[in-house]
Amino acid sequence: MNWNFTTTNVNVRLPINEQDGNALFALLQQQHAVDHIPRIALTDAVQVEDELRRMTMQFETREGASWLVTGTYDDQLFARITVKKINWMMRAAQLQWELAPDCDNELMTRLMSEAMNEVLPFLMAELGLHRLEMRLRKGSDKHTELLKKLCFTYEGCLPSQLEFDGEDIALDVYSILTSDLKS
Amino acid sequence: MKFTPEIPFAGGRVKPLLAQDIDGLFALYQQPELPGQAPLVDPEQLSRLVDISVKMAATQRGMMWAIEIDQPDSAPKILGMVSGFDWHASQLRITLRVDALPELSITQRQAALTVCMNFLETKYHVRNFAYPWIVGQNAEIKTMLTDLGYQSCAILRDAWRIGENAFADVHQFHYLSNTDKPIARRLGDDDQLGQVVNNQQGGAS
Repeated sequence: MNWNFTTTNVNVRLPINEQDGNALFALLQQQHAVDHIPRIALTDAVQVEDELRRMTMQFETREGASWLVTGTYDDQLFARITVKKINWMMRAAQLQWELAPDCDNELMTRLMSEAMNEVLPFLMAELGLHRLEMRLRKGSDKHTELLKKLCFTYEGCLPSQLEFDGEDIALDVYSILTSDLKS
Repeated sequence: MKFTPEIPFAGGRVKPLLAQDIDGLFALYQQPELPGQAPLVDPEQLSRLVDISVKMAATQRGMMWAIEIDQPDSAPKILGMVSGFDWHASQLRITLRVDALPELSITQRQAALTVCMNFLETKYHVRNFAYPWIVGQNAEIKTMLTDLGYQSCAILRDAWRIGENAFADVHQFHYLSNTDKPIARRLGDDDQLGQVVNNQQGGAS
């Protein structure tokens, strides 16, 4: 099973421990890249080693998988896409992504459309998942616009899902089903 | 140590799952309310359920109660269960579900759910109660939830699998308590794990 994909403008590939640490740290140390989850940005390069180890272990145990979205020509890291909380019985999983905040919105939409056009059919056809959802902090407009462009449907808002920075955080839920993808 | 209490309500009580209740629980599992769930075949599985219910409560991962209803001419009968699962103790939230035989009225179901919620709110400071209603279940349950103060927050499309390639929507209800969050105290002051107490009571729960 091939987990790596190449499109016109991006490579969507599993991370490589020895080479991706610096680029991943550059992405995940930016608070704007993780505000929508929400999570605290990384502060030390050592934390990326833990992040890479977790990604490897999650993949090996079939708990989840993470892809790095990089430019085809310059290998610049634009995003990380993660599938997690896979429920094989319900054939459902959660998606999460971190997008490079300094990338132009229009460019990011194009690149992520290319990347997700590979990842989503793979998750549904090859892994047999039926429902993919993303939960993100209410008000994450840049991300919700992208989700809508990718044909995700808004399902509602779950209140008080976690505490972050002294606030009770409500999470919006967006999903895409196999039937959405076919249509 | 007993983590799951017996709590009375009008006409019955909720009580921890016990080995002697397996026959009653087996009858309950013969008519599953959950869409797509097949009747249980092996009663032995319920012995494991009883064990798991104790472990889940002890580690604050979940809590299960049997709903026992008084009968006019015979011994009380188990007509349902209240299950608390997906418990995020530090985030003060839990998901609840009631599974019951058709004989359990909506009023009794509501009473059982209410006493369990009150217990979790008082003892463990749970403030966010979720309840998934699955398309195909009794629609009166939705009305009951609304009457209890729950709000429909999301419709999760095809989030419940009912067959090889068949799915049902899940209506996600939430009830948010307006009680204050517990006050953090110095760790180790209270030897009853997870049972956060009022500071002013000097450690009494």
